Amino acid sequence: MRVVNAVTTSWPALRLDRPTFSAVAESELDAVHRYLVFLTGNRTVAEDLTGETFEKAFRVWRRFDPRRGTARAWLCGIARSTALDHFRSEERRRRREERYARDLPETEDLAIGPGPLEAALSLLSAAEREVVALRVLLELDGPATARVLGISTTACSTRLSRALKRLEELMKDARD
Amino acid sequence: MPATDVDFEREFEELVRDLRALPTAAPEHVREHVRLLGEPAPTRTLRDVLPALSWRRSLLVLAPVCVLGLVSAALIHGLVNSGGSQSQALVQQTSGSGGAADKKGSTLELGTSATPNARSLVTPTSGRFQDYEASLTVRVKDVDTLHDRTAEATQVARSYGGFVASVDEATNGGGGQSDLLLRIPVARVQEAYFRLAKLGTVTAQHLSIRDLDEVVKSQRRRIVQLRLSIARIGQALESTSLPADVRLRLELQRDAAKQELTRVTGSNKATLREASLSRISLTLISQQAAAAKKGGMGRIERAARDAGSFLAGAGAVLLFLLIVLSPLIVLAAVGFWGTRAHRRREERRLLSAA
Repeated sequence: MRVVNAVTTSWPALRLDRPTFSAVAESELDAVHRYLVFLTGNRTVAEDLTGETFEKAFRVWRRFDPRRGTARAWLCGIARSTALDHFRSEERRRRREERYARDLPETEDLAIGPGPLEAALSLLSAAEREVVALRVLLELDGPATARVLGISTTACSTRLSRALKRLEELMKDARD
Repeated sequence: MPATDVDFEREFEELVRDLRALPTAAPEHVREHVRLLGEPAPTRTLRDVLPALSWRRSLLVLAPVCVLGLVSAALIHGLVNSGGSQSQALVQQTSGSGGAADKKGSTLELGTSATPNARSLVTPTSGRFQDYEASLTVRVKDVDTLHDRTAEATQVARSYGGFVASVDEATNGGGGQSDLLLRIPVARVQEAYFRLAKLGTVTAQHLSIRDLDEVVKSQRRRIVQLRLSIARIGQALESTSLPADVRLRLELQRDAAKQELTRVTGSNKATLREASLSRISLTLISQQAAAAKKGGMGRIERAARDAGSFLAGAGAVLLFLLIVLSPLIVLAAVGFWGTRAHRRREERRLLSAA
């Protein structure tokens, strides 16, 4: 995990150094984007949601408490709720479209990338992809990931193991 | 099943390496967009100033603080209450000094004395009819002394021309108690009271004086009226020219007056008897039995008892609040867990559909 060594502001009441928002945004942007790519399975959507996540984080930056967790975990929590909101609105949109234009074809495909690993990732569920993203790519520890996902540490570990096994099997099938 | 970072990194080494090698960096236009956000204006809120405590931590701090506060309050309450008088003497007096109070019959005067003192006894007013009632609690050394003092109290009553209306003496283990009802002439009640108070240590005294002067005067007036009436009727009946019906009516009136006279005379005698003999309720209590009563307790013991009572009261209030609020607490908990479960289910559904 990369450590934020950027400009810090002092927090006199708590005698704790608090990173600035811009420093955190600069260092965590790729991580949040990576997480959202995995969660949504779509680079375009992930880009939109990344921007939205940082806008939200900007607005509620004063609520961030470094003692309760890392900035990365905090941002991933915001990113997750932003993605869930997106899924909800997408679901509503699809329902409307199904009601009024049943013959419209589904246009949105999963598009993480062109390679076999990306194709295998696309076959995982969003829940599986996000745990892989948080634990493997963003390198959050078990408790922090569990907190972001709102599940127990054990459930998080089980989900990760299952996702990686499934991904390995999919990759094996693709190679064969 | 991998449980730690090392486990899954070792087990899926190749896969993890491939995943980390995926090009997932944020595009430049997103980076630029985020950079443009800049730095939020620093706004200092109460939340920033106060130490950020989770509700669990706050509860962990607040619960012992509340318990400590309650115990301290109970101890202070106990110490403050135990510092007062060892016993309280209630002096209830009906003023008999004349004036408006006499006509109305009674005036109450309540008082306490830190050390009950027989010398502070309100004496009956001479020349007036008064119902004088006193009670006295005297602590004696032990059961043997209790017997002696009971006998002595009987002698005191007799020596002042009075008598013992009732005696009730009971001993239990090392303790004992004697309840005596003494009737002593009002004129000598003060001397008798002082003698009785010297039988031991006075722990409580109670005095009640009811003025009967007006009652006696009224009864006497009524007796005179009735006698006059009877005499007049007698004179009238001596006449021979009275018609039969009038004679009969007068005879009936005379009989009724005589009956009334008998009744009023009886009441008057009873009132005079009441006014002539005072009632003194004497309770002799041995040291051990007295110790069982609050008045005889040590200060620490009383403080502990008062503190205990305070805590019990606080507990009762808390229990009452808990009983009253428990349905609301249950509803809130059900609402909270229900909402959380619904949100989790909704999230799972959305993620599986995505």
